Amino acid sequence: MGLVQRVLEAHGIPSVSLSMIPDFTRAVGVSRLAGIGYPMSRPMGRPGDAAGQREVLRALLQVLADATVPDTYVELPFVWPESPARARKGSDVRPPIADLLARKPWLLPKLYSGDIPDEE
Amino acid sequence: MPIDSYRFLDFATRQIIRAWVRREPQASGPVPWAPMTKRLGDATIALIATAGVACRDDPPFDQERERRDPWWGDPTYRAIPADSTQGDVRLCHLHIDTRFGEEDLDVVLPMRRLRELADEGFVGCAADTHYSIMGYQLRPQVLEVETAPALVRELKAGGVDAAALVPS
Repeated sequence: MGLVQRVLEAHGIPSVSLSMIPDFTRAVGVSRLAGIGYPMSRPMGRPGDAAGQREVLRALLQVLADATVPDTYVELPFVWPESPARARKGSDVRPPIADLLARKPWLLPKLYSGDIPDEE
Repeated sequence: MPIDSYRFLDFATRQIIRAWVRREPQASGPVPWAPMTKRLGDATIALIATAGVACRDDPPFDQERERRDPWWGDPTYRAIPADSTQGDVRLCHLHIDTRFGEEDLDVVLPMRRLRELADEGFVGCAADTHYSIMGYQLRPQVLEVETAPALVRELKAGGVDAAALVPS
């Protein structure tokens, strides 16, 4: 996502990113970033919580309006109402790369280092 | 207290992200910057999500190829008309729990929330069309040299003044 944001900015479109992993997005280097302490898959909040989602979006867009220099980073004040264990409960996400690395754990350093094989 | 980027991640993902954070700064150059040329209250805003949202009339993001080649992720994008609701779309993303966005699309692509903020005058206008990519991109070349420039062309053609990016 940070990569897309950099291209937008380079072509004259101002932008702001939300991020649940702001450490990573900051490392990529983006113009305007809002960190949020929410779990993956639910960046704007809980399903059905229109008021909560609206306030997250409002705060995100406020960063767009307020930022004056590149690499602006703002931490949004919203707190997820569940513990990490509770937030993960019932989620059964098992991407193909996880199965591949379980079968071929010697490939894991490639994922760590970004030395991505051309094709499996 | 500062946000803990790793709090909600499982152990394996946490280790991978930490390794990427250590590696990334050497890869990036100066941070590109486009100034806001309009006040937020006058600006047309578009959303870009990474949740792999595709209209049911459009081809889904290719999950079969990713299953054959797990290092690959579909690098294309989809346009989503602003009046779409969860019944009009599907989420094609093998790395997130898609149930939440399928239950309430605004969890991952807050198009209705943006319209509400436009109605109250907080932003000038919500774009007619929003966009989604699929965020799992280990080989980001196509995303960078084809998809992102195509998104720029779409946004400019649609009269969009600024974009808000929502990862999942």
